[in-house]
Amino acid sequence: MGARKIEETINAGIEDLRDTVRSYFDKGYNHIVTITGIDVGENIRLLYHMANMDGDLVHIATETSKKSLKVPTIIDIIPGAYIYEMEVHDLFGVNFTVNPWMKFKLLLPDCYPSDMPPPLWKEVDAKKVQQSLFSIESPACALKEPFSGVSRLSPESMVVPFGPYHPALKEPEHFRLIVEGERIVKAIPRIGFVHRGVEKAAESRSYLRDIFLLERICGICSFIHSWTFVQAVEKLLNLKPPRRAEWIRTMVSELERIHSHSLWLGLVGYWMGFDTMFMWIWGVRETIMDLLELLCGNRVHKSIVTIGGVRRDVTKEKLNTVIKQMKKFMKEFKQIMDEVLSYDEFIERTSNIGVFSAETARKLCTVGPIRRTIGDPYDIRKIEPYGAYEEIGFQVVTENKGDVYHAIRQRMREIYESARMIEVLAKEMPGGEAVPKRLFMGVVPEGEAVARGEAPRGELFYYVKSNNKHNPYRVKVRTPTLANITLASENLKGATLSDVPLVITAIDPCFSCMDRVAVYRKNTGEMFMLTEDDFRKLRRKWKP
Amino acid sequence: MRRTGKINRFMKRSLWLFHFNASGCNGCDIELAAAITSRYDTERFGALLVPSPRHADALVVTGAVNRLTRDALKFIYDQIPEPKVVIALGTCACKGGVFAGCYNVAEGVDKVIPVDIYIPGCPPKPDAIIEALAKIAGVKSKKARKMEVKESGSKEDRGDD
Repeated sequence: MGARKIEETINAGIEDLRDTVRSYFDKGYNHIVTITGIDVGENIRLLYHMANMDGDLVHIATETSKKSLKVPTIIDIIPGAYIYEMEVHDLFGVNFTVNPWMKFKLLLPDCYPSDMPPPLWKEVDAKKVQQSLFSIESPACALKEPFSGVSRLSPESMVVPFGPYHPALKEPEHFRLIVEGERIVKAIPRIGFVHRGVEKAAESRSYLRDIFLLERICGICSFIHSWTFVQAVEKLLNLKPPRRAEWIRTMVSELERIHSHSLWLGLVGYWMGFDTMFMWIWGVRETIMDLLELLCGNRVHKSIVTIGGVRRDVTKEKLNTVIKQMKKFMKEFKQIMDEVLSYDEFIERTSNIGVFSAETARKLCTVGPIRRTIGDPYDIRKIEPYGAYEEIGFQVVTENKGDVYHAIRQRMREIYESARMIEVLAKEMPGGEAVPKRLFMGVVPEGEAVARGEAPRGELFYYVKSNNKHNPYRVKVRTPTLANITLASENLKGATLSDVPLVITAIDPCFSCMDRVAVYRKNTGEMFMLTEDDFRKLRRKWKP
Repeated sequence: MRRTGKINRFMKRSLWLFHFNASGCNGCDIELAAAITSRYDTERFGALLVPSPRHADALVVTGAVNRLTRDALKFIYDQIPEPKVVIALGTCACKGGVFAGCYNVAEGVDKVIPVDIYIPGCPPKPDAIIEALAKIAGVKSKKARKMEVKESGSKEDRGDD
């Protein structure tokens, strides 16, 4: 489990695509994982991966020719799908009718040459795109002019730009906040400052090199990226990794979860002006970084997983150090969190901020800890177990309310649970070989496979298509932040400007994960456009 | 020359850094943040992150620079007061690293703005970052000396007058 080959797809024509999606939606497959676009010569093939809450996946396939590029939209059935339709629109040029975001061709940089076909078409050369992109001088890409098409909702409202380089954001991202007084009425994210084009690069490199490339999609949850990709490739090869290797992978993955969650908890302190908490937690986090360095040789990009096993074995002494150090970490961490959660100011600052309901989270196909905050036990480790998770057994941690305070408690308790799992893993590590005799350098037989993993931020999805070659035909990545960013902009509605960093951070955004694609959300028809000149005129007219 | 000495005295301590993520993967960014937090604590040398480029002495750039961040990088570089030092942190910022050849990557900060210090590594450890801080002080005083000459004119210039 965890990964599976795509044995059969449900083929639907363009006309009956909506009916097929609707019928599966009614059968309980109400969570859309992603939409994968694949260039198959004359046509673009689209795969709709839909999941239910028990870990089953269906793949609905449809094809459209490169000349027409028209597919009906499904956002009225599943509202959370709009972001995936935009992704496919940008990278493959497919038009979804009638998705209101489609009329703006705005994935990638705004100055992407219009005569160039979309970047993920097979005939497009990455080098040529690079040359033409960096030779264009366009104000649309210079960020000096406001992004066009952002408008006010009423005469009283104002547009406040937030980011892309803002002290409260550790990563570049731009938000246009439409405010009425202090309250935010609408938030429009503009992402794409970290878009590099990894999916295209993965197609041109061998499977072994891809592990290291895909690991560098994100520096915080790097290990789970490489592991999920390797799981899909192992399925295509019909290869079962040794049991000891699976246990080592699981241990590194849980260490990574603790490192990521404690990093986030520290940053929450930083964003609410509680620097002591930031320094404390980042101080104890170094223990985990030491353990990762001990096990993998690296602190950040672990590079320990390989096809058919792991690249380094662990010794008994190292496992004993892990047990000893984890005890020390838990003691210090518990002490800090007890102290922090006993401050009234802390609780008041974080309670009832960024509130969202279970319905909203389900409708927008939210994943990960933020989904579990409202009480849904949606955890890939449980519903589709992989690695050693089934053997060691663990509890899915949930809370019962959607706000920043409960998101903090959720992640804190997940750290406790992970620490317990690491102790079990280190104590009961099975014997045997974990390192394959030689690194995999061969060809992968033709086939398609998908893999899902629970990254620190939620469900991570990989699709790999092989065609008997040394390099994959197509690799598709869906990261948890892309699924969750819709919730963040939803939560910003009604929040005050001073809460913006805390509310955005509640989903634990990781833009470098997400920005292999860029997303642009715009207002629909009934609102009017506001240019910089309009804004100036308005400023002159406005009298307090 | 007396003024140079004065600038140098100020430059010796309290290097303020502005961190700029130019499409990095976060790896270098969290290591830079680790360097300023309690274990490595660069603040004991006076080095800390500042929120505005106008307050900064040095610009730390991570990541391989994509099309959207390229112009922002130039814009922010212009706002840093002279004498300024640019640090390319990580292999991506130095030469594109693993992302070299991707369609939306400029392959290195030095393609956009002049770089003074390169710190390779994927990502470099906080120790390497601390070592680089020592180097910044050297580069900084050299730049300050040059700047002084430019402002008041060298001896030969004055002789011509």
